[in-house]
Amino acid sequence: MRYDSITEAIGNTPLVRIDPAVHGLRHIDLYAKLEMLNPFGSVKDRAAWHMAGPGLAAAAERGATVVELSSGNTAKALALLAGMHGLRFRSVTNRMRVPEIKDLLLLLGAEIEELPGQSECLDPTDTDDPLTRFHQTLTGPDDTYLHTDQYFNPRNTEAHAAGTGPEIVKDLDGRAPDWFVACVGTAGSSTGVARVLREHDPGVRVVGLVAHKSDFIPGIRTIDEVHQVGLFDPATYDTIESVTADEAIDGMLTLIRRCGLLTGPTGGAAFHGAVRHLRPLDAGLAEGERRTAVFIVCDRAESYLGYVRQRRPELLGRTARRHSASALSDAEVRAEAAVIDAAEARRWIEDGAPRPLVVDLRGPQAYAALHIDGSVNITDELFEELVRGGLPFSKRQPVLLACPVGEKSARYAALLTRMGHPDVRSLSGGIVAWRDAGAPLVRD
Amino acid sequence: MRTPLYLRPRLEPPLDALLEAAPFLHTLADSLGSPLNVLLPDRIADNAAGFRAVYRDHRLGGRVYYAHKANQAHSLVRRLTATDPAAVGIDVASLGELRHALECGFTPDRIMATGPKDPEFLWLAARTGARVNLDSPAELDQLAALVRKYGLPRADVLLRLSEFESSPSAASGTRVLFRRSRFGSPVREVDSLVDAVEQHADAVRLTGVAYHLDTTGIAEKAVALETCVAVMDACRARGLDPRVIDIGGGFGVGYVADAAQWERYTTELAEAVLGTRPALTWRGHGYGMRNEGGTLRGAPALYPAHRPTAGPGYLDELLRHPAPATGRPAATLLLEHLYDLAVEPGRALVDQCGLTLARVLDVRRADADSGDLLVRLGMNAGDVSLEEHGVLVDPVLVPRPGARTDADEGPVGVYLAGNLCLEADLITRRRVHLPRPPSVGDLLAFANTAGYAMDFHAHRAQRQPLARTVAVTRERDSWRWRLDEEYWPITEAGGPVS
Repeated sequence: MRYDSITEAIGNTPLVRIDPAVHGLRHIDLYAKLEMLNPFGSVKDRAAWHMAGPGLAAAAERGATVVELSSGNTAKALALLAGMHGLRFRSVTNRMRVPEIKDLLLLLGAEIEELPGQSECLDPTDTDDPLTRFHQTLTGPDDTYLHTDQYFNPRNTEAHAAGTGPEIVKDLDGRAPDWFVACVGTAGSSTGVARVLREHDPGVRVVGLVAHKSDFIPGIRTIDEVHQVGLFDPATYDTIESVTADEAIDGMLTLIRRCGLLTGPTGGAAFHGAVRHLRPLDAGLAEGERRTAVFIVCDRAESYLGYVRQRRPELLGRTARRHSASALSDAEVRAEAAVIDAAEARRWIEDGAPRPLVVDLRGPQAYAALHIDGSVNITDELFEELVRGGLPFSKRQPVLLACPVGEKSARYAALLTRMGHPDVRSLSGGIVAWRDAGAPLVRD
Repeated sequence: MRTPLYLRPRLEPPLDALLEAAPFLHTLADSLGSPLNVLLPDRIADNAAGFRAVYRDHRLGGRVYYAHKANQAHSLVRRLTATDPAAVGIDVASLGELRHALECGFTPDRIMATGPKDPEFLWLAARTGARVNLDSPAELDQLAALVRKYGLPRADVLLRLSEFESSPSAASGTRVLFRRSRFGSPVREVDSLVDAVEQHADAVRLTGVAYHLDTTGIAEKAVALETCVAVMDACRARGLDPRVIDIGGGFGVGYVADAAQWERYTTELAEAVLGTRPALTWRGHGYGMRNEGGTLRGAPALYPAHRPTAGPGYLDELLRHPAPATGRPAATLLLEHLYDLAVEPGRALVDQCGLTLARVLDVRRADADSGDLLVRLGMNAGDVSLEEHGVLVDPVLVPRPGARTDADEGPVGVYLAGNLCLEADLITRRRVHLPRPPSVGDLLAFANTAGYAMDFHAHRAQRQPLARTVAVTRERDSWRWRLDEEYWPITEAGGPVS
């Protein structure tokens, strides 16, 4: 397939049947609409292109910046579109909660602004949230922004009414499915698709999924947050149900490990929510009856490894590391680490034969600000990596380890002793005790 | 009526036990009138110990300073003077608070004078040797002039900084936005501020830098803390020897015990504003939220009353949070750069330290059909300013001992009105659910009011009485009380311990 622009590759995504052995529904064919196969990686490509597209040329002429409230896929798509048109893109967000997405956005050239947190000491007269103020700055007299406004812009919904919805009907041989299941973020995809499906068949049941209130699933809003979305209309949905982060990850694992669908947690939430909703209905269907359901796989797994690691570390299980200071117990450290106080250490540094190598385990800025004269700085994280491979200095070279208060250094002294070094000592009480003893610290 | 939407208060010892002591509470209110503030001074010492435990876990030195503005009471301040002088101090923000701290027994080395200061406040702070947390360059000049003119000892000062809004930090790449503050000197002008400190070296000695951010957000505080470390390093490079970074307060309190109750309440409140369920509030008040064409706009002017981490737990979280540029945890940064930590908790330090009692004066139906009640209390909205601070939490019904109770009566929705002849004098603008209808003569106890909600807004409008305040201690199995002004940390029943 040959294109003049990558934007032509947006849409026309596959509709893939999920193996009944995976979902266990006997009378319902369950299909996944693979929006993750859009060129920029998610369902948001459609809305971003549809919202920004018409304004991009004019925006480029006046040198405007594309702005959107997004910490995820919309930002990703808009950043790429802006880049293609020589425009800057700024993403404004409450919090970047998925670190990989943040890094990816920076790679794409986006600027990211994080809004301030809630006030601790309430000013009851101040009821405008940071978002309201954000909107005020955008509607200033100088037309310096192209604000796509995904939560209120009807073109977000239209992108799906014109694309996603009709594609589903076409792929089901001109019929609407009996159920359509979608996670609610901006409500654009669910509203647009639902509108088209109902035009074909008013009997379509639409299930909206929101994140459990105290939980976080990327790209899905909680039941409270959806009320702040201009495109959200409760009448779109026959039912709204909530999904927990754990359930989203379970659904994601099933689709990845058994169906070959490399979905992110949002798609996992949609799958889990769909099967949970359909199971009792499936049980009520008579032998021979066939029904169809469609859910949306919004984006891909790769950006959510940190999200998974935080919630389900066992899924990214690591084998125990060798030569790790953290593997030593406190008692082992106490028994095995040689420790000397500031006065002894000072004598050793001045008169030792040979003199010890002094290793300062603190961060580079702290070291630069003040350190023991002649010491070398190997930050603890780096040191941890070094010793994993073996002893980083000769056994004939005595070593004095120093950290802020003498805890980490004792740990490493014990570890290095275990690894066969005959003379590693830890500065008791660390650099703090050294300073308090009046021993000299220098800066270069 | 639907399932009652309770917001039950979080109660810990000894506040929970005190609320069980109905005869004692009724005796107090009968003798001293309604409203009545009841304080538990021993708890403030426990709270200070909780903060110190976080310091210990992170191996950090420095003091916890009680932000006196949270409560005016004598007993809380006096109880704190009897704690470890190296561990606990007091943050005073007015001449009156400074005098009070001195009078209660705080030695000046334990006192931090904060906020914008008038000349008398500055003079007394410098005269006694309290640390002065300077709000502006002009205040520095003023202090130095006072020291010279009146031959005062060299003053220990900290520089309060503000406007940390930064260019994207090297490691995180994002720009963190800050809410604007009226206090402190902009960090971009710190060089000229330190120049001024050097010029005034005969009159002041720089001991550290400070900030206070009015936010629950950890990200902003991490940016500010890392910036302060860099400022301190720069001061050190110029030959000064600052030791302490004061990160202010804002550690928060969890008022509501149960997360599910809080979540359900706030969801239903939003639905009520949207009109998809009946109103939860007097005349449909929206607490800052409004309905614009079916979409919820504005922000709820509510304190996050259920908080999974607050107080010492929040400090711990902040100290573990990676600094944006270096990626090292905040505590590690402080330790490695050899700086002490100062904190100024107010609300969090008086968490669980007291309650406010009000007598039920009148109970009537709120309207013809809902079954809700309008309950008039012997207090007004100034006496318990939970609502003023956006804190939604239920009062505890303390029935009059021996009074007849109708066992059949179940939960009821009540609106709580005050004793002023003013439509606006509502103790809460929301319908509060109580497990049974209150009767005239019962008490309602507003738990956990010691932080900003006890005497912060109290007034004498309409010549209604101001609440008296008593300090209560547990001695063996009985409760003892004395007037707040009679409390000293050595007093026991029958007189002072000697």
